[in-house]
Amino acid sequence: MSTAFYNKFERHSNGVGLKGHSTHYCAGCGHGIVHKYLSEAISELGIQDDTVMVSPVGCSVFAYYYFDTGNTQAAHGRAPAVAIGHKLANPKAMVISYQGDGDLASIGLAETIAVAQLGSPLTVIFINNAIYGMTGGQMAPTTLMGQTTSTSPDGRKQINGQPIKMAEQIAQLDGPIYVERVALFSPAERNKARKAIKKALQLQKEGRGYAFVEVLAECPTHLKITPDKSEKWVKENMVPIFPLGVKKDVDVEPWWDIKEPIFDSEKILGLIGGTTEKTERFCKEFPSHIHPADISLKLAGSGGDGAQTAAILVTTAGINEGFDGTHIPAYGPESRGGTSYADVHIAKTEVLNPASPLPHILIAYNAPSLAKFGSSVTNNGFILFDNSVAKEFEPADSSIKVIGVPFAEIAADLGKMVVKNIVSLGALAAATNIFPRETFLATIKQALKDKASLMPLNEQAFDRGYKAAKDCMQTKGY
Amino acid sequence: MAQKAERPKPYLVPEYCKGCGRCVGVCTKGCITFSEEINHQTGIAPVKLDLEKCNSCGLCIDACPEPFSLLAVESGETVDSKNPAKLFLDKKNDAIKPIAIANQEIPMPKTEPMVIKGNYAAAIGAMIAGCRHMYGYPITPSTEGAELMAKFLPKMNGWYLQAVSEVATINHMYGTAGAGLPTMTFTSSPGFSLMVEGISYMVGAELPSVIVNVMRGGPGLGNIAPEQSDIKFACRGLGHGNTHAICLTPSTPQEVLDLTIEAFELAFKYRNPVIILLDGYLGQMTGKVNLPTHLNKPGIPEWAVYGDRAHRGNLINSIDLAEPDLERRNEKICAKYATMKAHARADNFMTDDAEILLVACNTPARISKGAVQNLREAGVKAGLFRPITVWPFPVEQLKTLLPKTKQIVVVEASAGQLEDELRLELNKAGVEKLPEIRHIRRMGGNLPQQADVVAYVKSIAK
Repeated sequence: MSTAFYNKFERHSNGVGLKGHSTHYCAGCGHGIVHKYLSEAISELGIQDDTVMVSPVGCSVFAYYYFDTGNTQAAHGRAPAVAIGHKLANPKAMVISYQGDGDLASIGLAETIAVAQLGSPLTVIFINNAIYGMTGGQMAPTTLMGQTTSTSPDGRKQINGQPIKMAEQIAQLDGPIYVERVALFSPAERNKARKAIKKALQLQKEGRGYAFVEVLAECPTHLKITPDKSEKWVKENMVPIFPLGVKKDVDVEPWWDIKEPIFDSEKILGLIGGTTEKTERFCKEFPSHIHPADISLKLAGSGGDGAQTAAILVTTAGINEGFDGTHIPAYGPESRGGTSYADVHIAKTEVLNPASPLPHILIAYNAPSLAKFGSSVTNNGFILFDNSVAKEFEPADSSIKVIGVPFAEIAADLGKMVVKNIVSLGALAAATNIFPRETFLATIKQALKDKASLMPLNEQAFDRGYKAAKDCMQTKGY
Repeated sequence: MAQKAERPKPYLVPEYCKGCGRCVGVCTKGCITFSEEINHQTGIAPVKLDLEKCNSCGLCIDACPEPFSLLAVESGETVDSKNPAKLFLDKKNDAIKPIAIANQEIPMPKTEPMVIKGNYAAAIGAMIAGCRHMYGYPITPSTEGAELMAKFLPKMNGWYLQAVSEVATINHMYGTAGAGLPTMTFTSSPGFSLMVEGISYMVGAELPSVIVNVMRGGPGLGNIAPEQSDIKFACRGLGHGNTHAICLTPSTPQEVLDLTIEAFELAFKYRNPVIILLDGYLGQMTGKVNLPTHLNKPGIPEWAVYGDRAHRGNLINSIDLAEPDLERRNEKICAKYATMKAHARADNFMTDDAEILLVACNTPARISKGAVQNLREAGVKAGLFRPITVWPFPVEQLKTLLPKTKQIVVVEASAGQLEDELRLELNKAGVEKLPEIRHIRRMGGNLPQQADVVAYVKSIAK
């Protein structure tokens, strides 16, 4: 009979002596039988080269001693999570998550359920022997009521909960396509187990979906009975609690057809918006009349004012002109509604600190923002505010220019409140001469991308803001 | 009778029989019996076979848990139990020596500078580095990175898989990394805590991965504002065992992009996770970013368990029951740590004649940079030493500045985690004469403020 076992178990005590050809399992353990059926199925299906066997933590931690396939050993309970990582890395791989009851039904419950629900083609073999083997006979999630273990010395009681029925749990999920519980205690049951294991692999091979086979297995050592009695024990005690049979078997057409990942520079640039097109520059020099090296702005309003968008536009405009620029949005829950403010820096060569505690320029979209930040503006700075919603502001120093422009009123007049922030940028350009009009319009155009039809409206908004600011400055004699 | 004779009969190799007797009960002909005769090689009494009545039903072979104990022998075949080549019958060992498929560099056209935020810069860097497998669990303030990957990766036939938890995330990464492919995640402090078990496994199993931790206020649920809360954790506490990983601390979106690309190179070079520590402020910070000249198309390393013929013989694990084996594994890993020290890196700003040396990384470094500028304007000889790697700590670079340094001021958004690294590494480097070490620390989501740094340094400047 052909199998996918190694000829010699080199990893078992370095293959020295008898260990080179015998398993580490105790006499009569069900693991060995399941290993054999799995190994035969791998061989019969011709998938040995493609198979990745994921060994869990538990007695089968050393499954990789035996299977002449790719092998990965996972952390306790994480085998299905690791398995899906392998499957997505190589969708053509045949990935088997082989797990015991502590691994699958206790510590790894979240991963077990979540990966089953994904439904990606994967084969999960679950060895349920109602006890913890590797750690020495402690209570498992599948330990039967009244069953004595080293951590349920007086028998499993109500306070320990009842044995968890994984096959039924998995079968009620939408993801899996095939779930069966089998056993090893008789030739007839072993035959069903062998067939179920092969079917679970076949379904993965055909790209149909996730399959789960729960095997009721014997642990004579920790049941403290002979192997033949442990077979009887499983039949008489486990089967009534864990009924055998197919729990789910749905017909699914092969669907797992995953394309090769794309590594193409045009594709990436297209997605992230990288462009080889030179952006036009309109600035003759850095606007050093505001600050010789680093101009700091604060844009403040409430959610919906467009302060962040305006901030990004100013930053982008600066970078398009070949300067450095940064933008920091108001940080915290208020960025999801309520107050919204942004710190922006435009620097000749490098923005050192991107925060704007003492801005050269403040744009305030409402009265609270004006009140909160108005007095932080540095001498010789600028305060631009929406005078359709806020009253005139007295600056801390007479060198600070305060320019009121009805951002909201102009936007309402244009029929689109969303252009309120563009009005404010027009006002910014007029009041501070930070960048020429063309710089702003080119940046707005770039940001609108495929919504170029909105450009005339934005241009109008910008110009209205520009004019209103100029008018105000003239009135105030700036 | 002729038909039956063609089916295989059992052949017992007594050395590999554990005497469990699962075969005994299934034989309806009574061919197999328990024996009390102990095999002197195993100390176990194997079963006994008397095949006179055997009808070749094969049930005993099906019941045997051992691969090589009860063999199926085809009619006419003979078994030589002393000759393993014949003993294991038709099983051929045809695994081939693992081979490596090399990475490919794909040129990128020269593009205009982009305007992107720190979290996006990390995501874009990962895509350029060839990462097509991103796993994650949403957590503020790191989510934008994951969202960008979720949007773009499927368009490049890659995967964004939202895991059931950070524990699952790091183990999805373990699987993909085990297959030899670049993989990464975005997380923030509480999520990072959940990942360290998996990071320890990755270090043990020598798997590459990149973890972007956009640090936030702690401990516990803390808040979502920026803190450098995980420096100690990332440098000294990556799970159980002798674990370390290169920890990169960028301070601008450009550096986030560049270091993310480099992080993948380092992860594969050393077969070890690489941690990128951002703070929430930097993650949200938008800035100017130039793209590199190449993107990477990853190959498959020799060691990978990819699930193909070329890599069938490989194993990813971190278990060594024999103490000498585990000590050897640790020694190998520690030797890698020693070579990683060559990647210790720092950036100096106005340090040439600095008497007061600010030390800061991430956003506090930018705040300090602004402060240094102010201090210089006020005539104070201040400079900034900015570690770009906090592990390995750039202690050699720092040492060269010490002769002129009268005072060190560590500026950080934590309770002295960076300062601890600095003191520990100076101590390990045998620096006996230390300048006075002072600090400015903020916590709870507050960053040190430029004005406060300036005022403090002025107050200590003599």
